[in-house]
Amino acid sequence: MKEENRQEKSRARVLTGFWVRTLCFVVLAISALGYAAYALIPKSDYGICSMLNFYNQPRDSIDVLVVGTSIGYAGVNTNVLWEEYGIAAYDLCSAEQPFWITYYQLKEALKTQKPKVILLDAKPAIYTQDYSKKGRIILSTYGILSPENRIAAIKASLEDQSKLRDYILVFPVLHNGYNKITEDMFAFPPTNGDRGSNWKGFIEEDAVEQHSRPSFVWNNVRRNINAREEEYVRKIFELAEEEGIPLFVVCLPNPDYNNDHMYMNYLWSIAEEYNVSGIEGEIGINYNDFELRYGLRYSSCFADWQHLNVKGSIIFSKKLGEDLKAWYDLPDRRGDEAYSTWQAAADEWYEKLPEFESSGVEAKQE
Amino acid sequence: MSILSLDFLGMALAALILYYALPMKIRWLVLLAASGLFAALAGWQGAAHLAGAALLSWGGGLLLEKKRSRWILAVCLVIDIGAMAFIKYYPTISGATLFVPLGLSYFTFQTAGYLIDVYRKKVTAERNPLKSLLFAGYFLQLPQGPISTWKELGSQLTEGHRLDPDNIASGFQRMVWGYFKKMVLADRLAVMTDALLKGEDMPGWFVLGGVVLYAIRLYADFSGGLDIVRGISRMFGVRLPENFRRPFFADSVADYWRRWHITLGTWFRSYLLYPLVTSKAAVAFTKAVTPVFGKKTARALPTAFATLLVFVLIGIWHMASWNAVIFGTYFGLVMAISLLLEPMWKKINKGLHLPKKGWLLPFKLIRTWILVLIAQYFAFTFEPAQAWSLLQQTFANWDFTGFAERCETVMPVLEWIIAGSAAVILLVIDIITEIKNNFCDGLAKPKWFWIRWPALIVLIVAIAVFGCYGEGFDSASFVYTQF
Repeated sequence: MKEENRQEKSRARVLTGFWVRTLCFVVLAISALGYAAYALIPKSDYGICSMLNFYNQPRDSIDVLVVGTSIGYAGVNTNVLWEEYGIAAYDLCSAEQPFWITYYQLKEALKTQKPKVILLDAKPAIYTQDYSKKGRIILSTYGILSPENRIAAIKASLEDQSKLRDYILVFPVLHNGYNKITEDMFAFPPTNGDRGSNWKGFIEEDAVEQHSRPSFVWNNVRRNINAREEEYVRKIFELAEEEGIPLFVVCLPNPDYNNDHMYMNYLWSIAEEYNVSGIEGEIGINYNDFELRYGLRYSSCFADWQHLNVKGSIIFSKKLGEDLKAWYDLPDRRGDEAYSTWQAAADEWYEKLPEFESSGVEAKQE
Repeated sequence: MSILSLDFLGMALAALILYYALPMKIRWLVLLAASGLFAALAGWQGAAHLAGAALLSWGGGLLLEKKRSRWILAVCLVIDIGAMAFIKYYPTISGATLFVPLGLSYFTFQTAGYLIDVYRKKVTAERNPLKSLLFAGYFLQLPQGPISTWKELGSQLTEGHRLDPDNIASGFQRMVWGYFKKMVLADRLAVMTDALLKGEDMPGWFVLGGVVLYAIRLYADFSGGLDIVRGISRMFGVRLPENFRRPFFADSVADYWRRWHITLGTWFRSYLLYPLVTSKAAVAFTKAVTPVFGKKTARALPTAFATLLVFVLIGIWHMASWNAVIFGTYFGLVMAISLLLEPMWKKINKGLHLPKKGWLLPFKLIRTWILVLIAQYFAFTFEPAQAWSLLQQTFANWDFTGFAERCETVMPVLEWIIAGSAAVILLVIDIITEIKNNFCDGLAKPKWFWIRWPALIVLIVAIAVFGCYGEGFDSASFVYTQF
């Protein structure tokens, strides 16, 4: 009997040791795999980095949160908003980001931030695809860290739901990219495309392409937007309403706007249903409006057929800041120690400004 | 369900948890359920065939135990092996398409072996049909073996095992090693076979290199798959027989076949070669030819003929094609000739005082490699003419101009570096294991965790990052699954 007890105790000790070792091994293996997956994820500043960097912002520090597409991050110049008005803004945008990803990104963002206003880039209203392509899914969702929002965003983006697990596990969709790994992809936190840790999501498009102001008859005709885009833009409006945060729809200036106009009319009609902002009866602003004149030149302010260049972003953001200041109670944060990263980001950017070809600023002579 | 899929790993993990959570007596039912699910997912026709073969062996076994009749055995074997032969070879003859059950050869050989063992009174017949079913269709054996005997596996499957940390550690280690071999090395080298089959005007070094890489690939593919299933099985406490013992360290073709696909060789030796060699006809033949050839040669002749026959059958077992016939006949002839010449070689060795090992070993290894490689030309080609053409090209043009460019047409430099590194790791581990046979099991002991853990984590990450899977890869199948 004693011998049996002794053996049982010995076995229990062996098994306890085994389970402890197993647990430690699992933790180590998962950590190693997690880091390998992190290294494989392209640290593109066109999406992933702006989300990862977003988590570094002090809690409840962002006053204006811009969500949307590349038009948003190329147009809303956070450095100008800061320098001119002391507005603490952040561009949480990624290339060709549809509303279904914006919705989950916004849900994620509002966990740590309570902005005074959300600027919603209207561009996805013209998108016709029902689902997102692989590259765009990676770009727009792999920066989201919380599993529930990342998985939901991927799920909403995927046409073939059987691939959901592959995207969640990262490796099946990205491991073939090991030949593209560079040293900086291992850096944690990421270098934000060499933009530094103070960066607020603005990405300049440094080129000049000549365009002319869109020519068409301004009208109220509506053209149905994609059903899935509509479904999710409604969810975005509802989310903002639930959170009690004013949401402002912004249609950025665009040389190709004549093709977008009827979709925008439809989007505006949806926004009106929700009366999302309610400021002076405005639910947003369309910066393509013929009556708006604020110095933007279609001949020199665009990098391509849809993105503002550096000069364009400065002119546009000055106007945007003026409007935001007029409609919302946005404090001037300049001089506030808690907002030193905005000041640093703006200082760094303005120092580099003359180097941009499309800035319209003469480079200093040596 | 491929054993490379996450679904399979999930199923195995669930079965493992359930296995150890249930009372000892009914643990085998978990294996049965997992096997049933695995077989059913591979196709109901195959599952039905498997169940039929299992029931035949169960009923046949009981009958044979009751009445030891050659006729009963013969009828059972004809049905069992005949069904396999029909499914494997009828489509080639008729052009028809038949559903090939997963693990057809493996469960057929296993059930046939069981019937013969019962007839030979080596084992007692199993009373429980479900246990017979589990023996025939154990899910870890279905994809590509090994072929076990009832004596080796029967009781192991059904007796239930206590959770043994050594088994888990050792099994997990083996499984990871198997995935590494298959997914990082074997599947990466698969492109080389395509390059050989599609290539034109290839220099000799390229063809030879390709055939060598094919041999490495085949070894990594087959042994990797076996390591995966043996590893997982070990975690259940069920030890499947070893199927490979570092075949490229063989010092003769006979030694090669004792190291390559060991269980298939054992099966043919036990159930075909020995009965043929010890048959009355063979004894009578030996007697008759002794005056002509002398005692030693006359004794070797039936064994040589039987060996030739066995290898022809092994060749045909692989596939119903002329290449397979040539492959088997070639090995059979090499083995038969070496058997017949053995007395002469012994005399020469003795006369020249040649050592059995030592400095002669590299020569023997290279000789075996060359003999084995010749057979590989017929293993991956589809027509004898194709194999013959490649053999001719091997000796034709040894111009190394454009070496790098030609290699890069097969795969980029980085892929070569990964494959090369994996091959070197495989070689190092095989050399160590050849010297110290229980090296891997020893490494699984808790005290070596400081070596094992980093090594395993590196392997796991390497599989995840450099493994051939996901988009752009079709690596779900193993070469030997088709047999």
